Amino acid sequence: MSSDNVEIKDGMKIRKLTELKTGAEKEYEDAMLKRVEYFKKQNVKKSGFNNLLENTLFTTFSSILDLKLNIDKAIGEENLKKVHKALDEILLFGL
Amino acid sequence: MYHLDGTDVLNEKYYRKTFSVCPECLNRIPAEVVEENNEIWMKKTCPDHGDYKDKLSSSAKYYKWTHYAVKDEKGNVIWQFDKDGEANPADCAPEDPRGCPYNCGLCPEHKSTCSLALIDLTNRCNFACNFCYANVEKAGYLIEPSLEEIGRIMDHFRNKPIPAVAIMFTGGEPTVRKDFPEICKMAKDRGFQEIIVATNGYGFQRKKGGAEFARKCREMGLDTLYFQFDGINDVTYEKTRGIKNLFSYKQRVIDNCREAGFDSIVLVATIATGVTDIEIGNIVQYAIDNIDIVRGITFQPVSLCGRITAEEMQDLRITNADVIKEIEKQTGGKISMENAWYPLTTIVELGRLIAFLADVEPAEFTCHPDCGFATYMAIDPKTHEMVPMMEYFDPLKVINFANRFWEKIKHKEKQPIKFFENILGDFGKTLDNGLNFLDKTQLRARFLLGALQYARKPGKLMEMFARLLANGDWESVSSFSYGTLLISSMHFQDAYNMDIERTKRCIVHFGVAMPDGSVKEVSFCTMNTLHRPEIEKLVAKKITQKVRDEFDTSVGQAREDIELETNPMEEIKVEEK
Repeated sequence: MSSDNVEIKDGMKIRKLTELKTGAEKEYEDAMLKRVEYFKKQNVKKSGFNNLLENTLFTTFSSILDLKLNIDKAIGEENLKKVHKALDEILLFGL
Repeated sequence: MYHLDGTDVLNEKYYRKTFSVCPECLNRIPAEVVEENNEIWMKKTCPDHGDYKDKLSSSAKYYKWTHYAVKDEKGNVIWQFDKDGEANPADCAPEDPRGCPYNCGLCPEHKSTCSLALIDLTNRCNFACNFCYANVEKAGYLIEPSLEEIGRIMDHFRNKPIPAVAIMFTGGEPTVRKDFPEICKMAKDRGFQEIIVATNGYGFQRKKGGAEFARKCREMGLDTLYFQFDGINDVTYEKTRGIKNLFSYKQRVIDNCREAGFDSIVLVATIATGVTDIEIGNIVQYAIDNIDIVRGITFQPVSLCGRITAEEMQDLRITNADVIKEIEKQTGGKISMENAWYPLTTIVELGRLIAFLADVEPAEFTCHPDCGFATYMAIDPKTHEMVPMMEYFDPLKVINFANRFWEKIKHKEKQPIKFFENILGDFGKTLDNGLNFLDKTQLRARFLLGALQYARKPGKLMEMFARLLANGDWESVSSFSYGTLLISSMHFQDAYNMDIERTKRCIVHFGVAMPDGSVKEVSFCTMNTLHRPEIEKLVAKKITQKVRDEFDTSVGQAREDIELETNPMEEIKVEEK
């Protein structure tokens, strides 16, 4: 904890929270990715093919999401609402 | 339903009738939940002990947002909550004519199954907090189930129609038991997905052996520490635990767990006005600073025990809404009441849907909306600052889509496709399995697309969210939780604010091995408010002198460790064990 952001009040340390930045971002990312890798390895033991297929799918997903976000910006909020409504209906159709 | 669109009902006054108990005689009495001055209050009258009034929420607006409202044929708003559990057969006959909450448990009135099983491993503790019920000296007897009894309780929870997916060991201090790692293994072997210990950190804080203990517990199956953490100031612990210089003890737990690679800790802070509420911002920042091993924070507004006056009640009572307001204030508005928080019950249908599509055991969150609120924080890849996850996607839209989707397909859970079986008999079953697999695959694809159209940010976290939606297995949930910080506020009931409607929906249940060989399953709040003294008398054991002499509770250390630390004859400091 940086001492610049700490004030002493009635003998107690009080952290002034002006932003929620972490000094342990690298450790956080490592912990998160370590966990994902751990489960990927576990899944390979179950079925290598399914795991490969799944990882390919989710890697592709990131690219699709980027594209989707760019389209969202381009078409504007009102049109986006209409698109969401139409998509909802299509995806719920026939269930 | 929740007020996902429009807020017209929020202008209506809140009112409903329920039942509660008299804080004096603990008899069941009628109660009203009313809105006054933008707050929500419970009012009740005991014929023998008079009137009681207690605050349930300091924000009527937020309270109403989290509750259900339907309109009757005259257009009047009726406040009610109807997310009942899916499967919950009673396991005892209701013998007390007064009904809930005297017939635990569970009796036919209970409406939720158990999602989190609790076992009190001991009432021994190295601390002697004055408000705690679990204290061997104060009780005058020892509560410590044998391994056979613990196994029996675990089997009970795993053999329910919807098995409990998570188990938490409580106490006393569970890690004072020498066989604690073995107990973790017993739980893992029985199929519990998440093994948690509610601890003050005793076993993990040792200067010598703490990291090894953490490593061993991890190897034996322990997943998460539910770690008592009142703040970062020694003076706070002196007030709450009566022990000086306790923060270094808490820091050692974090350091030892990090050294051992034990990377799932939830900080648990009991919030009392004027004592620990000032530490809320400190705790959030501490969690963020240790984000590599801290997965969450649970704030618990203090429950009130014993006889207190109405004035004392006003001073001491703090509600979930107060905690959420305080979090907003102490984080400079970054985690705001308006945008960041949702009751646990919001995701009932989403949880069922994911479990159904992924063919995994569901975790049922059919508790009452007053039980708790939560938000997820994640690091924004651009600003490197932690933000509520609601900035990653539109949660209400995702939940709304999940609710509609589940409503359309939930019949499939009980009626899988039997096309070929009807024609070919048993031979057709394999073909039907194939059809059902294909059907679920197309449903998963539809749902994933439907949910992800509401995504707002890219990044690794969203990839993990997609994995969670698609797979629904515990591994995906676990990976997702490693990319986020879960902050929640859970308010347990006491005799002053007990709402029987809420009690009936409790999803956190104690299991107690009874002398007749049965297991008694009791909901959390009724156990601590009503049933504990009677049940403990039935399972109590005598205290030996060894148990009495075990700890110096004024410093929180075992006497044998203290003797090792200081050699009085030669005044030589010996390393702590």
